[in-house]
Amino acid sequence: MIQHLPILPILLPLLAGVLLLFAADAHHGRRAGFALAATAAQLATAVTLLAAVDGRIDVPWQDGGAVYALGNWAAPFGIVLVADRLAALMVTLTAILGLSALIYALARWERAGSHFLPMFQFLLMGLNGAFLTGDLFNLFVFFEVLLAASYGLALHGSGAPRVKAGLHYIVVNLVASLVFLVAAALIYSVAGTLNMAELALVVPRLDADTRTLFELGALLLGIVFLVKAGAWPLNFWLPSTYAAATAPVGAVFAILTKVGVYALLRFSILFGQDIAPAPFKGDWLFYCGLATIAVGTLGVLATQKLDRLAGYMVVISSGTLLAAFGFTGTTLTGPALYYLASSVLGGGAFFMLIEMTERNRTAAADLLAISFEAFGLQERHESEHPDEMAGVAIPAAMAFLGLAFFSCAAILSGLPPLSGFVAKFALLKAAIAAPPAAPAEQAILLFAALLLSGLAGLIALSRLGIRVFWDSERPTPRLQWLEAAPVAALVLLCFVLAFGAGPTMAYFDATARALHEPAAYIGVVLPGSRP
Amino acid sequence: MELALIIFLPFLGSLGAAFLPPNARNAEAWLAGAAALAATAITVSLYPQVAAEGVLRLNLPWAPALGLDISLRMDGFAWLFALLVTGMGTLVVIYARYYMSPADPVPRFFSFFLVFMGAMLGVVLSGHLIQMVMFWEMTSLSSFMLIAYWHHRGEARRGARMALTVTGAGGLALFGGVLLLGHIAGGYDLDTVLAAAPQVKAHPWYPAVLALIALGALTKSAQFPFHFWLPHAMSAPTPVSAYLHSATMVKAGVFLLARLWPVLAGTDAWFWIIGGAGLCSLVLAGYLAMFQQDMKGVLAYSTISHLGLITLLLGMNSELALVAAVFHIANHATFKASLFMAAGIVDHETGTRDLGRLSGLSRAMPLTAALAVVAAAAMAGVPLLNGFLSKEMFFAETVFLDRPDWQRFGLPLAATLAGVFSVAYSLRLIQRVFFGPPAQDLPHTPHEPTRWMLLPSALLVAACVLVGVVPELVIGPYLRTATGAILGADAPAYSLAVWHGFNTPLLMSFVALGGGALLHGALLARRGATTVPLLESIDGRHLFDVTLTALTTGAERALRRLSSPRLQMQMLLIFAVALGGALLLVKPFGIGWGANAPQPLDPAFALLWLVGGACALAVAWQAKYHRFAAVAFAGGAGLATSLTFVWFSAPDLALTQLTVEVVTTVLILLGLRWLPRRDERIAGPGGATPRLRRSRDILVAGGCGLGLAALAYAVLTRPAVDGIAPFFVQQALPQGGGLNVVNVILVDFRGFDTFGEITVLGIVALTVYALLRRFRPAPESMRLPDQQHEQDGDASPRDSQEAMLPAGAMMLPAVLVRLLLPLALLVSLFFLLRGHNAPGGGFVGGLILATAVILQYLVGGTHWVESRLRIHPLYWIAIGLLLAAAAGIGAAFAGAPFLTSQAWHGTLPVVGELHLSSVLLFDLGVYMLVVGATTLMLVAIAHQSLRSQHHRTATGDTR
Repeated sequence: MIQHLPILPILLPLLAGVLLLFAADAHHGRRAGFALAATAAQLATAVTLLAAVDGRIDVPWQDGGAVYALGNWAAPFGIVLVADRLAALMVTLTAILGLSALIYALARWERAGSHFLPMFQFLLMGLNGAFLTGDLFNLFVFFEVLLAASYGLALHGSGAPRVKAGLHYIVVNLVASLVFLVAAALIYSVAGTLNMAELALVVPRLDADTRTLFELGALLLGIVFLVKAGAWPLNFWLPSTYAAATAPVGAVFAILTKVGVYALLRFSILFGQDIAPAPFKGDWLFYCGLATIAVGTLGVLATQKLDRLAGYMVVISSGTLLAAFGFTGTTLTGPALYYLASSVLGGGAFFMLIEMTERNRTAAADLLAISFEAFGLQERHESEHPDEMAGVAIPAAMAFLGLAFFSCAAILSGLPPLSGFVAKFALLKAAIAAPPAAPAEQAILLFAALLLSGLAGLIALSRLGIRVFWDSERPTPRLQWLEAAPVAALVLLCFVLAFGAGPTMAYFDATARALHEPAAYIGVVLPGSRP
Repeated sequence: MELALIIFLPFLGSLGAAFLPPNARNAEAWLAGAAALAATAITVSLYPQVAAEGVLRLNLPWAPALGLDISLRMDGFAWLFALLVTGMGTLVVIYARYYMSPADPVPRFFSFFLVFMGAMLGVVLSGHLIQMVMFWEMTSLSSFMLIAYWHHRGEARRGARMALTVTGAGGLALFGGVLLLGHIAGGYDLDTVLAAAPQVKAHPWYPAVLALIALGALTKSAQFPFHFWLPHAMSAPTPVSAYLHSATMVKAGVFLLARLWPVLAGTDAWFWIIGGAGLCSLVLAGYLAMFQQDMKGVLAYSTISHLGLITLLLGMNSELALVAAVFHIANHATFKASLFMAAGIVDHETGTRDLGRLSGLSRAMPLTAALAVVAAAAMAGVPLLNGFLSKEMFFAETVFLDRPDWQRFGLPLAATLAGVFSVAYSLRLIQRVFFGPPAQDLPHTPHEPTRWMLLPSALLVAACVLVGVVPELVIGPYLRTATGAILGADAPAYSLAVWHGFNTPLLMSFVALGGGALLHGALLARRGATTVPLLESIDGRHLFDVTLTALTTGAERALRRLSSPRLQMQMLLIFAVALGGALLLVKPFGIGWGANAPQPLDPAFALLWLVGGACALAVAWQAKYHRFAAVAFAGGAGLATSLTFVWFSAPDLALTQLTVEVVTTVLILLGLRWLPRRDERIAGPGGATPRLRRSRDILVAGGCGLGLAALAYAVLTRPAVDGIAPFFVQQALPQGGGLNVVNVILVDFRGFDTFGEITVLGIVALTVYALLRRFRPAPESMRLPDQQHEQDGDASPRDSQEAMLPAGAMMLPAVLVRLLLPLALLVSLFFLLRGHNAPGGGFVGGLILATAVILQYLVGGTHWVESRLRIHPLYWIAIGLLLAAAAGIGAAFAGAPFLTSQAWHGTLPVVGELHLSSVLLFDLGVYMLVVGATTLMLVAIAHQSLRSQHHRTATGDTR
């Protein structure tokens, strides 16, 4: 049974989704219970996979990961799934985020439209497939699966703003898919293979003329991944889509941009830094990442609404990852993976959290608050009792939301004592230590970008946090346990990530080491080949 | 272990405090007091060890790979600070118990108070710089929560935000500085860093390190030019002001400067940055303090001024000055906290802190007045009190400064001037509040507070007097341990006597006292105005607000240039990036065409492509106003593609392309009906801009299209690469068991791709359905189209549902179409079954059946069809996926991976020889899913018209 482990993260959500289709009219509780059980099973599978690739469970694979040949056709002829440390990590993150968002959705949002639960399972299937596959065209297919499901989920709940933003999202991604297809065709036509490991072997042997064609294909491929990752200037769609999506969808979308980042990382390492084509080359990624951080920072400062702010936070985290992966040398990969985990968990929690806090708030209150702030006016209820000294008791729900907001803000802008800080520390430490192997200006730029984006996050989050939480005229939102629990769990995980920085960092470093030895990956997929 | 306990106790207390009920004032105070007292006791008990061993350490591994460890370290200096934090904390807890109103939600107060205490202890006891930064930021955050404790007041929110922004920014700078420092020193451990002083000062990064760390320290200690946040932080409850904003948190900055003094001090840059900021704060804040109207305002500016004094001492690059600085840190904490407590008592008992309204309180509250007078005297530097001693040391240091001439004369003058200010504002504060005629119009009648509220203040004042009279006895040894811990062997000799004989510093002290009294008597006492002379227009808060607003609007403006909410712009950018990237990066003009000679051009084929190309252009031309025509043209282009596949002997592709074209075109046409009309008469703005825009668009679009064509040509003229393709062709029959290579690839070699793609199709159908279920078309699309109106006459939908055949013009086609359905089913099954060996397959078969279903709907109408033919497309999709999955999972029973094909070959009694394969099951899954998905989309669109009919009937708008 254990040899089928790599396919389970794809198969389980598929079967769950299909069975949920049959249960479209079933009793809500039963349907929810089933979806919950299925997603929990995925989490268990993902954790088992993680333990297996880390060598904690006895498995029949060699070190470096499991290869699962679909249809029993060996690579490069058939499609293979490759479960290495990175893939297992991403699958686990997906499962954690998926389970949390699902629990949250069961409280309310699931019933806001049709087929939420199956669509959600299909999204998980697409994500897991994209992380696990070792085949370029199969990657395209799973991109399509996750995108198709994300279209449905982005539109879930309807309403004009959602449909408007959702349709933009769909069009942009359809174009990206078209480009992906052209790129895959081009690469296949010159390399004669779709297997990622074999591509890495074939590319260095191409003659100059063919290589140019290949590079064009790689360029298009890179553009697609950059669109998915939300890199500037290909990310205009991101903040509005994420802001308009329902909360659990926004939460699970926190990992969607990471698919693009993941693909860029995977291919740039497989191609090898010396011969990597343009968009996969370090410098390009690095400066693209910096530009993305800059635009995300501007967005964070400019926005007056929490949901858009969360979108720009996602942009910043994407930019940080691109810059870190593009940084010359390999020392930033481990810390960047830690940052990825931290920002995915924190971002997911944040999306759910802001929906809970924004309940019962009117747009007019926001507008008033902005103008009061801009003109330094006294607030309306203030003059009534100027000498009142006693404070306002915060009801338990607000206290919970406040603490969670505080924690998420700390995670996302990298303030102590949570995982965001550890991540930034690890990144910056590695960046400073990199010269002279890496250009000094890269280190300086990354240093400045990370600190300044953190400062912008601090300014914006404290501004909006004050406006939302200390507005005494609003009723306390009503929360259900189902909604509070996943947010609390994600934040707690970030605590664990911070306090368990020793063992987690060891795993991320091992992942990075394995990644930077593509020969091992190639050797596992194509035994008997020599690079 | 005790070290960990000191930090851990407050945090534990905080957790406990958070869960007590809102009105548990006494329990909260007992809890917080116990935590603080226990921490104090442990600190005190550790002194013999610190004095004997020098440094106590506790190291626990945390993330060794990152060089992060939990490291606690207590030397004499840290001990002094820890005592300050815990001892002062205990006193303030007692004070706060009586200060807070019974209506205040105290759990929040005490839990953040204890968090702060723990964090501050963490700062002083950290033996690891990064860990110290973590605690440092935690003090900023807890200070934020405490300043905004009364967050229903705008002032409190604003003050809290300002404090957090300034100190948080400083904290980030400090973080950066510490990172650099640790890198230079080769570790973040404090001992490592302290040992690396020579390398640090010689390193090219030294200026950057200094600037960043100074930014952190100066913002935290509210030093010029970042001092403006502290007066606004005074909207916090007074215990918070006494504890955080005078005694402890603001001292973190100077603590850090002293801690890193051996590493960073001793350079000119240090002198100018640290000393300069200190001097400016000392004089400027002293001046401003003289004109404040709020008691706490006076104290806040005075705190800035005194912190400036400490900073200046630290910046003077002299060991003795450092001793004076440490001494003054302790002294200032005692007298200033006690003054804050007095201010809080006055506020509590009278209801105001306005110096203009308060007067003559010494009669009503003599004890409070006495304590305040002594503390204020210490602040002013009156002999026999602790303030006098450290101020004398400061004056002495300014006199013996080892700098060029003008600095040597300027500094004592500035110091004396600051002393004058200090005496003047102390006098003014005391004189206004406690002396003069009794005030008449106070909100409450003043009276002495409960003894417990006075006790902390009294203890502090007693400390002021004791230190002032017998310094060597009370604080001497501790001060020596503290300064010895910083300076090590370099610690200078000094004497803590009250009397050093007649010398310049003494003279300066008396000049300050006399000048201050004169200044107060001559000017301040008579001054009625509430403004600050000369500096009225410089308002830190205003500058801060303007900066933040400018930041926001600037970001908005920049964002508008760097981003766009418009889809067109995004599309343009994607294509422009692709095109530009291709042109710039890889020199595509360098690619030669391949060596394959092109085949001779057949005129018929050329004509086919001419038509196809013309159709494609026509689509672009008509897409804006004539969607129907555009879709029809698109169908033409698709047809040309299908024919091309036929021409080049790719029947599978041709079949698939053809059926897909048919189904999608019909579905799109059905959907068109609901799009809002576009009127050609409503044209956009004319002129040059649109023309330019269009030229740009056509350039990009044309470039992309031509580029793609060129690429295709370059690839096609090259010899095919010997990759994996030959394997498929050779092994399709022997291993795949099928003659049709394309089909074997689709369902076997790369069946997993197909598996994914059918899932996509299913999801898309679900999405379309989910979207359209809630869709409400625009009002102008609700009317029946003219054509339908003419055909249907007045036949109502309900009638036609009952009839054998649809009424009206559709009767005859309906007969034909009904006959077609079983035929189509048969044909589709035929294509499904033959697929493995001949052109066809599940996909094509499914589309054929779907086309037949579409025809039923088209001709019969939704009502009519659905009353007879119940298709449950959802089940078709689900069963299709399930079959495909089952075909794959079945392999697991044979011990093979997912989707491994399993075949069974044998003879059955009646049927004869039979070949059954899991591949067929898989293809059947594809077939069912395609039918289901297509039908679901069709149904979604079809029900649109039902709903709108329903809508029409409901609103009575039948025609």
